[in-house]
Amino acid sequence: MPTETVLGCQLLSFCWQGDWTLAPLSFELRAGERLGVIGPNGAGKSTLLKLLAGLCQPSSGSVLLQGKPLTQYSRTEKARQLALLSQENEQAQAMTVAELMLLGLLPHKKLWQANSQADLNLLKQCLVQVGLSHKQHQLLSSLSGGELQRAQLGRVLMQGATLILLDEPTNHLDIQYQHQLLQLIASLPLSLIASFHDLNLAASYCDRLLLLHQGKVMALGTPQQVLTAPLISTVFGRPCLVDENPFDGKPRLTFAPGDCV
Amino acid sequence: MKSFALPQRWLLLFLLALGSFLFCLNTGSVSLQWQELWWCFTGECTDPMQWQLIWQLRLPRLLLGFVAGAGLALSGALLQHLSRNPLADPYLFGVIAGAGLGATVASLYFPALLIALPLAAFVGALLAIALVLVLALLARWQQLDHFILAGVAVSFLFSAATALLLYQHDPFAANRVMFWLMGSLSRASYQPLWFILPCLLLCLLLAVLFRRQLDAMLWSDQTALSLGVPVQPLRLLFLLLTAALTASIVAYCGGIGFVGLMVPHLVRMLLGSQALSLFVGSCLCGGIFLIWVDAGARTLMPSQELPLGVITSACGSLFFLLLLSRRRG
Repeated sequence: MPTETVLGCQLLSFCWQGDWTLAPLSFELRAGERLGVIGPNGAGKSTLLKLLAGLCQPSSGSVLLQGKPLTQYSRTEKARQLALLSQENEQAQAMTVAELMLLGLLPHKKLWQANSQADLNLLKQCLVQVGLSHKQHQLLSSLSGGELQRAQLGRVLMQGATLILLDEPTNHLDIQYQHQLLQLIASLPLSLIASFHDLNLAASYCDRLLLLHQGKVMALGTPQQVLTAPLISTVFGRPCLVDENPFDGKPRLTFAPGDCV
Repeated sequence: MKSFALPQRWLLLFLLALGSFLFCLNTGSVSLQWQELWWCFTGECTDPMQWQLIWQLRLPRLLLGFVAGAGLALSGALLQHLSRNPLADPYLFGVIAGAGLGATVASLYFPALLIALPLAAFVGALLAIALVLVLALLARWQQLDHFILAGVAVSFLFSAATALLLYQHDPFAANRVMFWLMGSLSRASYQPLWFILPCLLLCLLLAVLFRRQLDAMLWSDQTALSLGVPVQPLRLLFLLLTAALTASIVAYCGGIGFVGLMVPHLVRMLLGSQALSLFVGSCLCGGIFLIWVDAGARTLMPSQELPLGVITSACGSLFFLLLLSRRRG
């Protein structure tokens, strides 16, 4: 059922102190689809992700998760469907990889339930998927940035959610790890909404892009439709050249350096 | 300890608790033969003095010391976990200053009521926590760091009020209140246990039940929320629980500092920082630590008893200096 809608929002908006942080917007996400949210700083990317995750209340409109309004889900029901991997570089680094990943079981467990053998098998399987089997007992503080992100992704996999929201997942990662992480996500049977600063990465790994500017939707469509030179130059305030990435045929953007304007 | 696996460390810790218990039971101005000690428990004891020494003096004191140490360490561990701040401490929320003020008021104005003293200390501590919460909520502060700042402010306010009251009243009252400020187990009996133990057990039970939620909150609020954890209500619940636990301990034992700050650090080094081991381990280590401190308080100076706070503060300062030098090195 590739056309099934996982998440939809209708006229969703967020108003803060009289200003549109996010003007009303509507879109739908199909199962298995990867949607990239792009735009300059302060465009409303993080706000949109928070609204979709139900972490703050919209000023108007609603979010439909599997056809049911997000507000009608209980906390744990929601957590079984939808996972969030947030941007902060967090400090709980005294946990081990396995401990972090087992947190993903939280929405599936009663308070008094211990982790069963099946859970440990799932852990083993997820560790293999994110390529951290050999590091499961290591402290998070001893991991590289890329491994830390993969451990967090492992937690999301344990959570069993089919829709993941990622807030700038490639922050703090070097080029190798950026591609490794996104390739890993692309290989998993997940629907994804992620915000990006790197437009070329977004173009290569997303099926559709949503371009936000000052809280308004400037474009929504395939990378080819959204990443056009006039639009991107206007939104980011920087002359830009669009050609084709010779590796995957997706749009490739090159921005003019300062003194070449 | 590094060379032992985790289950072995737990076993060692339990054995250490048991050994410390027995050793401290027989430490004091009078030392019994081990056989005599054994007889006190089997009922074969023929000397009523010995029986009274063990059952009426040392055992209640030992139990109170263990429970108080466990409670303070658990409160500290919970607060450090919730605030993601390794320097959070039951002190910082104004609980001890509040208890001190309550005890001062009670001992100045109702000196005849014996029950009033712990009760007043308890009420004072709750008042301090209420003030911290009101301040934090009025300012719409979200993070626990802000609670800590409010706690420091309330702490100073209550300490100032205590100092003012003591300054204006008879100088002998200051001596009585010194007890609250420095900490002591000299008032030990079985009765406080009925008050503190339920608080401790409830706190520990809930901390163990909510271990996953607490771990998620250690990670970040957003992650915890996205995992379905009701972050704000849980934080408030545990804040109130630790306040009640600390208040009940301070009410009977006074302000024993540094246990809540130091022991969780030690436990993290030994057993890791996952909620379950941190909380159970803190209870054990805190209890062991405080009965040793009390044994020291009773025996270090031949003719008098030292306040517990003196020893715990000295240990605490030494511990953090060691920690600092280890970090550097």
